[in-house]
Amino acid sequence: MIRYLLRRVGGLLAVMLMVAVIVFVIVRVVPGDPAAVMLGTAATPADIARLRTELGLDRPLAVQFLIYLKQIASLDLGRSLFLNEPVAWALWQRAELTGLLTLLAAGLSVAIGVPVGVVSAVRRGSWLDQAATAVSMFAASVPSFWVGLTLIEIFAVHNPWFPVSGWGGPGAGLAEHLRHLVLPACALGLPNSALIIRFTRTSMLDVLQEDYVRTARAKGVRPAGVVMRHAFRNAMIPVLTVVGLTVATLIGGAIVTETVFGLPGVGNLIVSAVLRRDYPVIQGTLLVISGLYVLINLLVDLLYALADPRVRF
Amino acid sequence: MAALAGADGARAQQPAGKGAIIVATIGEPGPLDPTVVTSDLVSIISQHIFETLYAFDGGWVERPLLAAAMPKVEAGGTEYTIPLRTGVRFHDGAMMVAGDVVASLQRWLALSPRGKQVAPYVASLAAAGEHAVKMSLHKPYAPLLAMLSMSNGAAAIMPAAVAKAAKGPLDSYIGTGPYRFLEHKPDQYIRLQRFTDYVSPPGPASGYAGARHAYIEEVRFVPVPNPTTRVDGMLAGQYHFADSLPAEMLPRLKSKASVVPVIVKPFGFPLFIFNTKMGAMTDVLLRQAAQAALSEADMLKAAFGDASFYEVEGSIYAKGTPFYDEASVTAYNLADPKRAAALLAQAKYAKQPIRIMTSQQYDFLYKMSLVAQQNMQDAGFNVDLQVLDWATLLQHRADPKAWDGLFTYHTFVPEPSLITIMDPSYPCWWNTPEKDAALAAFNSEPDPAKRIGDWRKLQGLFYSQAPAIKVGEFYNLAARAAAVKDYTVTPWPFFWNVRLG
Repeated sequence: MIRYLLRRVGGLLAVMLMVAVIVFVIVRVVPGDPAAVMLGTAATPADIARLRTELGLDRPLAVQFLIYLKQIASLDLGRSLFLNEPVAWALWQRAELTGLLTLLAAGLSVAIGVPVGVVSAVRRGSWLDQAATAVSMFAASVPSFWVGLTLIEIFAVHNPWFPVSGWGGPGAGLAEHLRHLVLPACALGLPNSALIIRFTRTSMLDVLQEDYVRTARAKGVRPAGVVMRHAFRNAMIPVLTVVGLTVATLIGGAIVTETVFGLPGVGNLIVSAVLRRDYPVIQGTLLVISGLYVLINLLVDLLYALADPRVRF
Repeated sequence: MAALAGADGARAQQPAGKGAIIVATIGEPGPLDPTVVTSDLVSIISQHIFETLYAFDGGWVERPLLAAAMPKVEAGGTEYTIPLRTGVRFHDGAMMVAGDVVASLQRWLALSPRGKQVAPYVASLAAAGEHAVKMSLHKPYAPLLAMLSMSNGAAAIMPAAVAKAAKGPLDSYIGTGPYRFLEHKPDQYIRLQRFTDYVSPPGPASGYAGARHAYIEEVRFVPVPNPTTRVDGMLAGQYHFADSLPAEMLPRLKSKASVVPVIVKPFGFPLFIFNTKMGAMTDVLLRQAAQAALSEADMLKAAFGDASFYEVEGSIYAKGTPFYDEASVTAYNLADPKRAAALLAQAKYAKQPIRIMTSQQYDFLYKMSLVAQQNMQDAGFNVDLQVLDWATLLQHRADPKAWDGLFTYHTFVPEPSLITIMDPSYPCWWNTPEKDAALAAFNSEPDPAKRIGDWRKLQGLFYSQAPAIKVGEFYNLAARAAAVKDYTVTPWPFFWNVRLG
């Protein structure tokens, strides 16, 4: 187990290094000058050249890359060109929101997706199964920004039950923050629950055909016991993989949702950074998100052992 | 609202602050340095904290703000003595004196894009006692007062210690304004609190000038990047004011009694700029051909739709502003492909591609560039329309080999010499002997009436030499809650003198 973990962590570091190189190159291959964006339409070429020198953007790419690698090695993500603060601090300040939003959305996806998927499989072909299939197909095909704007229209504008946007004013506590996250979590979580419904249903249908399920039924185990004790646990292994992938996808989805709901999270930070060509923020944020993605995959693999005792590392 | 109190009397009249006004802005502004940063968003917020020596009144004429009076101008327009108001306090409690003003102006001359335009004219700058400063110029420079009045790239007055220490963007915001900086949580909010020791300038309120009273306890700016969300927030009553809203949302805003749509006039003008330094469009006949081919009316209609949001207007300054002039607008909205074709034939145009840069990031620029492309192709141009993201366009703009024309916009500026294309180094590179002479005459003429005559000559050259095309006037849609009283409509919204009903 420990050897497996060490091997995976080594792989994680290699992936992170590759991500660091790719992000550095992509950010600079894309045209657009941070100095020109920062100074606005009225800036003269002389002003832009001066700011490029101040920001160190006029140095050779190889020099910039070495500085960047040295920073990463000392766990320093650099300093935002626009916000004039360390990237790590900018990320830390926004991590709570994005973390909570992702967790709530993932929780909602699982809370809807797994039970509906199980019921659909058990009642295969019934009106319930058909309704769940239709709704999940619809939810999977609508973009989360559309869901977000529709939820705002219904639950914030016409019925002012939830705030339209933001993260609460000064002194807002956890309850107030959560109130601001209800609509965004729904906008993000509902389309993703569709995927979990589909996977749970398919996985459950496969397991329900297995010999040991038939044997359990033949032994007179009650239907609920067959489903919950024998089928559900085995069906959960592929579903866990999807849930893990969904959580990683949600981090990406948070980018759109946070923009629509004006939430000061990591997604909002990265969108603004791309538009402003704030290189250190783009690099630092992508590096951290990639790290999280790889970590989540690792955690999912470790969870297999809990769901299925036959899995050994 | 008119408060005719003198400087010392005004302090006693400051009302007790009440409530908080929530203002939805287009995004996160970054550091709130009004001197170094020229973005409109920073100007909108920082003008509550920092003040300048002069400010524009409702008719866009300079009036004293931290100055006690208009300057004494001597030695043929090369020596300005500016008297300062007494009893003005900074937010840290210190009194403003001439040393603070000198240090702030020195920082402005060194760091602000506007100050750098003025710096070559300045021979010396020094305190003249505790409450006056003296600026000597190498030669007369008429736009000086306008430059000192701008809230954008502003000659903001701050304590001398802060001004001397800040070599880059400020990290502490201590001004003299009616609101003091309280808290900035990036991407969440910026809180400004009523400054209880604020001393209002005398005279009735007019535009940015005259009496300033902080009736509201807190002004909170909240970044809401999505424009539809800003509209929804207004309709739901979450914000008291929202800026830069999509024009097509006007009917929705009108549908709710608690929301009042605000159309900001003047606001800005789109520009179709030509590269006069390199490439095909260096030929004035080709530029005139483009001028003849375009239907600015169609371009504006395609871009903005609702006629409430634009005006087919060739004068660079709109009606109601001091520099408005129709007589020198000689070639606007011609929509004459035959005349354009004749000019192309005269120029012996060989169908080489004309590379025009535009961006979908500003939808109105993209839409009007499509109409321009069609107009020009109808006249015989071979147009290569390049659709880029805004950051890329800004980068390519600096390279004269990369483009022949580009679409951009200019926000309203009260002083013509601040219009970007007047600067010969701005990507357009309008740099002819006639224009340079006319601009020099305009910049050195101290008499406002004569300056208007000089401006007509410059605008005449703008149309005969066609370095760029002014497409028309466009307006900005904002919205305020009906509860917001006594709001003054301006391009850079402010919330002193505003009450919450």
